[in-house]
Amino acid sequence: MTSRPVVTIIGADGSATNKTHPLPNVFKVPIRPDIVQTVHTGMAKNKRQPYAVSEKAGHQTSAESWGTGRAVARIPRVSGGGTHRAGQAAFGNMCRSGRMFAPTKVWRKWHQKINLGQKRFATASAIAASSSAALLLARGHRVSTVPEVPLVVSSSAFGVTKTSAAVGLLKGIGAGADVEKVKASRKLRAGKGKLRGRRHRQRRGPLIVYNPDTDNTDIVRAFRNIPGVETSSVYSLNLLQLAPGGHLGRFIVWTSAAFEALDKIYGSETEPSALKKDFLLPSAIVKQPDIGKLINSSEIQAVLRPVRGGAITKRGVTMKKNPLVNRQVLLRLNPYAAQYSKAKLGQTKLNEGKPKPTGEEFSKLVAEA
Amino acid sequence: MATISSDLLWLLTRNSSSYLVKGRGAAGGQFSSDPLNLNNVHARKYEGFIQDKAVGVTAAEDGSIVVTTKKGGKTQKPASQLQKSTIGKNKSSRETFKAIVGGTAKQGYRVDLRREVVARASAIKSSQRPVRQQPTPKLRGTKAKKAAEASA
Repeated sequence: MTSRPVVTIIGADGSATNKTHPLPNVFKVPIRPDIVQTVHTGMAKNKRQPYAVSEKAGHQTSAESWGTGRAVARIPRVSGGGTHRAGQAAFGNMCRSGRMFAPTKVWRKWHQKINLGQKRFATASAIAASSSAALLLARGHRVSTVPEVPLVVSSSAFGVTKTSAAVGLLKGIGAGADVEKVKASRKLRAGKGKLRGRRHRQRRGPLIVYNPDTDNTDIVRAFRNIPGVETSSVYSLNLLQLAPGGHLGRFIVWTSAAFEALDKIYGSETEPSALKKDFLLPSAIVKQPDIGKLINSSEIQAVLRPVRGGAITKRGVTMKKNPLVNRQVLLRLNPYAAQYSKAKLGQTKLNEGKPKPTGEEFSKLVAEA
Repeated sequence: MATISSDLLWLLTRNSSSYLVKGRGAAGGQFSSDPLNLNNVHARKYEGFIQDKAVGVTAAEDGSIVVTTKKGGKTQKPASQLQKSTIGKNKSSRETFKAIVGGTAKQGYRVDLRREVVARASAIKSSQRPVRQQPTPKLRGTKAKKAAEASA
């Protein structure tokens, strides 16, 4: 195997330091949007609070059916008199102030069990996807000012404790544009969510991943008031943050300590992870996903039959040529055409002079007819 | 570097991408807002951000044309990945096209996009030309008579 690719560690001002780190194995995991999406749908359901309509709603009346014979429907009707409510239909889902159809219950199945293997695969896949600049762009992150992806910033730059310093750091490493995008995206939410603690909608910005063992954990407080910016410990990465909405390619800023811890946390395809029980990184089934390279590889080219003909191939009957326009086609159909044109037979006049009179006999016949 | 082939990237971004702009209705086309997409069509060939090499042609504010190309082998370095060159506004259309093609297709860089590059530059050029005023039509017949009476 050739030497492992390395990632430059970047300083606080965005310029490369002289340190590099080999790319952790987790970045070689196959990128599987299908797994990420199914796991994300399940995980997104696991924070839900149960809700239901009141058990009593629509049933707080002593309505009884009037039975048949009163020329009204047999639905239960409110008893008594002296108020407009008396005699009105009750209980049914079609009734005004009746109960809803199939009233919601708090014991609905709110949560989803997700297989641990799938969850780990999805997390690893989302981390791998975060190392592709194209996928970050496809997710909508503004990364054109970022020096390198994955973006690893020296842990020594993360000594910040104040938000103003944190904003300065983000600008320095080229993540300022992404934060600005989040700020500009803040909009009022459509619908009832406004009243339910979800007043605004906004995009997601960079995710800062740190190592709580060695990094300064004050950064959590320093970064938490910057719109769209989230922080996460490298030991508890969450798919909801790594692939928001199930879309791959979150923009992640790694501290160098967190980046170095990745190989310990996820292991490799052959060495089990030190922290996760029974976990090997999933390996790609197709080693070479570049179709162009596959087609042009010597192995494939060796078993293909050579291209027939040269650079110019004769088209068979694919294109009809008009023999009146194309002389070569005309000659193929009519070999006499060459002689005909050489002798200029087309241009010669008939040398018989004026037509001869037909004679009296003929004109007499015509007149008789 | 863990480079992902553009074939795979296309499969990953074909159905959902921030650049994808869908037309209305069932027959609505799929377009792209990618600045490196020459005819704004969401297709494997034209979507520039998934390719190793791509060309973008945009109009600058002062009327010149900016040609953006991607440097090969820099897919992991977004800040230093793009190469921009400006073609001045005083160049004629023909000179502009010659300059753009000379810097791209003539050098074997995205030869398949030669026609699209020229077409886009041409569209930009024609959009920059001042709109010619239509002469006011000369009145004829009764309208002309009425106009003459009104002015008299």
